[in-house]
Amino acid sequence: MNESVISLDHLTKYYGKSRGVRDLNLTVRRGEVFGYLGPNGAGKTTTIRVLLDAIRPTEGSAQVLGLDSRRQSVAIKRRLGYLPGELSLYDNLTGSEYLRYFANLRGGVDWSFARGLAARLDLRLSQRIGSLSQGNKRKAGLVQALMHRPELLVLDEPTNGLDPLVQQELYRMLLEFRQDGGTVFLSSHNLPEVERICDRVAVIREGNLVAVEEIETLKRRAYRELEIHFAGRVPAQAFAGVEGIRRVRVDDGVLHCSVVGSLDALIKVAAQYEVINIVSHEPSLERIFLAYYGGGIEDAA
Amino acid sequence: MLRSVFLKSLRDQTRSLLWWLFGVVAYIVFVMLFYPTLRQNSELLNDYLQAFPEAFRLAFIGEVEDITSPNGFLASYVFSLIMPIILLVYAIIAGGDAIAGEEERGTLDLLLANPVSRSRVYLEKAANVAAGVLLISLATWASVVLGALPVDMSVSALRVAEVCVSLALFGLALGALALAVGAATGKKGTAGGVAAAVALFSYLMYSFAPSVAALRPYRAVSLLYLYNGADPLSNGLNLVHLTMLVAFTVACVAVGLYFFRRRDLAV
Repeated sequence: MNESVISLDHLTKYYGKSRGVRDLNLTVRRGEVFGYLGPNGAGKTTTIRVLLDAIRPTEGSAQVLGLDSRRQSVAIKRRLGYLPGELSLYDNLTGSEYLRYFANLRGGVDWSFARGLAARLDLRLSQRIGSLSQGNKRKAGLVQALMHRPELLVLDEPTNGLDPLVQQELYRMLLEFRQDGGTVFLSSHNLPEVERICDRVAVIREGNLVAVEEIETLKRRAYRELEIHFAGRVPAQAFAGVEGIRRVRVDDGVLHCSVVGSLDALIKVAAQYEVINIVSHEPSLERIFLAYYGGGIEDAA
Repeated sequence: MLRSVFLKSLRDQTRSLLWWLFGVVAYIVFVMLFYPTLRQNSELLNDYLQAFPEAFRLAFIGEVEDITSPNGFLASYVFSLIMPIILLVYAIIAGGDAIAGEEERGTLDLLLANPVSRSRVYLEKAANVAAGVLLISLATWASVVLGALPVDMSVSALRVAEVCVSLALFGLALGALALAVGAATGKKGTAGGVAAAVALFSYLMYSFAPSVAALRPYRAVSLLYLYNGADPLSNGLNLVHLTMLVAFTVACVAVGLYFFRRRDLAV
């Protein structure tokens, strides 16, 4: 079961001036839902497009399903389903014409299965794609990616533009897909989404792989940004040494800080003063990355 | 019609291709109906034409002795200028759009996520461009041969077929060039620009070279000369010219494929 489905070996791709990825080494195992997390422009799409052989590595290589991404691309694509981040379909075709076309290029698919997928996503196949909303186009793209029962799904920002109900349905479909033995590689800039459905996650920033973690580990290192409002003035140095605390700043009786891990130590120190309010901010992904993997926390501000 | 890239592409351009065919047939039939009137005024017209400088005549009408003879008439109104222009416009649009258009619209990304190789997509797209060019050439042949009947114009169906084959090869050459540049660069504008420049250069070399002695030996670099320089309507196909057009076409397709297989595709 530990067979590798995607394996990047020193994968490097320069293109343009600053875009690209550098020296990626990564293994995705069969049967896992693997999240590829990073802010926009970090190199997620670049990596995915190498897997699809749309672009070619500058150095290094990628293996997909045990096959070389360059030389055996057609054989890979037979067993892979793909949803691009920037989805462009044929506007002049109806949903079912579009799916039939791609089904034909694949030498036929189980049509009742494809219809079932469309029904689950509440996608009307008789409409022309040009008249569909962005969300419905993405549904058509998803059905396209799943209809031939691939072994591996590669999804670039799959929930972009989907309404929350459909997102939930997609999550369920992905988990079922995994239960049936499929492997999912999905990119996202949405940490809660990745936490929710992925088994492991790789974090990429500015073209570099900064971490590969089990989701459980990531959760344990929960990162928050807090504001604690006190009744009176508090000394900043009282909080300086507290376990897990970063970026301490006190102005006018308000403590601003970020905390990695348990809040216990901070709360106990704060309780020595009169607390009026505690505000917890949902940190941006960029902040989380910087907190976890950036060099010094200080330069994050 | 959705069984392959070739058929899907043909389906996509059905409507536009029908308009092209309609336009070609309508133009030729209309011109043919005009032939009896023209023949009645033959001396007047020929004198009128003789009054133009030779270079001007060559540039805009072609090498025509007698514009009211069937061949002279067909050359000047159909085959010298109008049909090559129609074919080149069609072929450049279709060739440039084949790969680069699909890439610019963003649909190439998912198309190639299917288990089809780049070569296969490219060659099926090339076949699709060729099919359009061949259909227009066939319509040209049929309209001329059938249009000649009611106006009692004596034309050889075989010779007309030969000039139409040459015309088709001219269209294929420019279509292949636009296809190749588009596939190699991913840019429709570049494809159209390069092919149009070659067409324009061809026209200049073909039309003005006869009157500029220094240019005369280089007429063979003109696609237009290779198409019509040996007057296939009167003399039948010139095998050397035909071979050169075919070689040019094949070379373009091959070079385009070479670069298309190697390069990074745009998102």
